[in-house]
Amino acid sequence: QPLAGGQAAELQSKVVPSKQILHSDNMEMEPETMETKSVTDYFSKLHMGSLVYSCTGKRK
Amino acid sequence: RMEASCLELALEGERLCKAGDCRAGVSFFEAAVQVGTEDLRTLSAIYSQLGNAYFYLQEYAKALEYHHHDLTLARTIGDQLGEAKASGNLGNTLKVLGNFEEAIVCCQRHLDISRELNDKVGEARALYNLGNVYHSKGKNVANAGTHDPGDLPDDVKNALQKAAKYYEENLSIVTELGDRAAQGRAFGNLGNTHYLLGNFRSAVLAHEQRLLIAKEFGDRSAERRAYSNLGNAYIFLGEFETAAEYYRRTLQLARQLKDRAVEAQACYSLGNTYTLLQDYERAIDYHLKHLVIAQELHDKIGEGRACWSLGNAYTALGNHDQAIHFAERHLEISREVGDRSGELTARLNLSDLQMVLGLSYSTNNSMMAESHAVENSLNGGRPRGRRYSMENMELMKLTPEKVPNWN
Repeated sequence: QPLAGGQAAELQSKVVPSKQILHSDNMEMEPETMETKSVTDYFSKLHMGSLVYSCTGKRK
Repeated sequence: RMEASCLELALEGERLCKAGDCRAGVSFFEAAVQVGTEDLRTLSAIYSQLGNAYFYLQEYAKALEYHHHDLTLARTIGDQLGEAKASGNLGNTLKVLGNFEEAIVCCQRHLDISRELNDKVGEARALYNLGNVYHSKGKNVANAGTHDPGDLPDDVKNALQKAAKYYEENLSIVTELGDRAAQGRAFGNLGNTHYLLGNFRSAVLAHEQRLLIAKEFGDRSAERRAYSNLGNAYIFLGEFETAAEYYRRTLQLARQLKDRAVEAQACYSLGNTYTLLQDYERAIDYHLKHLVIAQELHDKIGEGRACWSLGNAYTALGNHDQAIHFAERHLEISREVGDRSGELTARLNLSDLQMVLGLSYSTNNSMMAESHAVENSLNGGRPRGRRYSMENMELMKLTPEKVPNWN
């Protein structure tokens, strides 16, 4: 019995929580940013083709 | 006629992606590609958006393919801005796929062209991307071994220091441009980089800035992220009470946002923090909450961790019956998921507990024999000290960022 008691105390003292757990896979990153293109991007700049203008014109 | 229909399909794809329905958007873009167009700029824009849609859908191989088409096309038509954008997108995709060296080349190209064109916005975005690639590269190598933040091999340290440098360069430009959202992103990732480097005070400063900006925008997800990251940094500063306070805010927001996986993670962090504070009743309370959600989400890895943590906390309280119960469940789950070192940990915990209780129970005889067999296979034969900690448990390796923490 006393032996078991001593072992229990030893066992309790071994309960060392690990900081490693917290950092292992729990870091929260910000989102990536992707560059965007649009089919209407450059029509507005220069290429006012009559064909596409009819399409995009509706959306402006 | 043909042209118009390609354009119409692409416009509908754009509309759907903007509305957040990438899956449907992809169908329209794919249809637009099928119809085809003589206009290479239109085609380039379609490829680019297909690449991004697949990126958001986490289908990276396809994202890579389309961003590559876009890059080739942009070069063919001599569209420098288009080439810069395609390079950046390709770099981001390569990063997620773990191909860091090529990712760096692409992101650097994005940066060089932006500078040539005197495009400050593009330059800043390229710097942020480069920071992200170096951060991932560092974290990836660091994950291969187990060590606390700050205790790093040289190659890891170099990559992380480069990441910090790029984030800081990005910050100086976006501050000049007055782009608060971009500042928020850079502060968050800079904070995480400092954290990995072991500069916990700097990490706190950066995450506090991130928090401020998140509140400015009313961005509760970003606010929650900042709380969680602040909690992590305070753990390593040894300020457990402060860490607990931040994790409690994380938990509160996770519940408001109805994000069960994040709620589980917050409970788990709180359980560990209260263990560090030696408040085992509270630790158990949170680990049980974590366990319930892990089961609900069919997250076996999380469930195993919860059982391991609960076994530990009950051991600390001297509640050996419950400790054995959870150690046994930990053993079961480790077997189920094929986690050999988890299995070994559970066996050693069980044998320790049994010795304390002076028990020998049904599985005991075979258990000890098997335990040595597992141990030998793991450690090349030499049994080590008793009671393994989580450090020795080979948990499932998660890929960087893109995989939610809770899968």
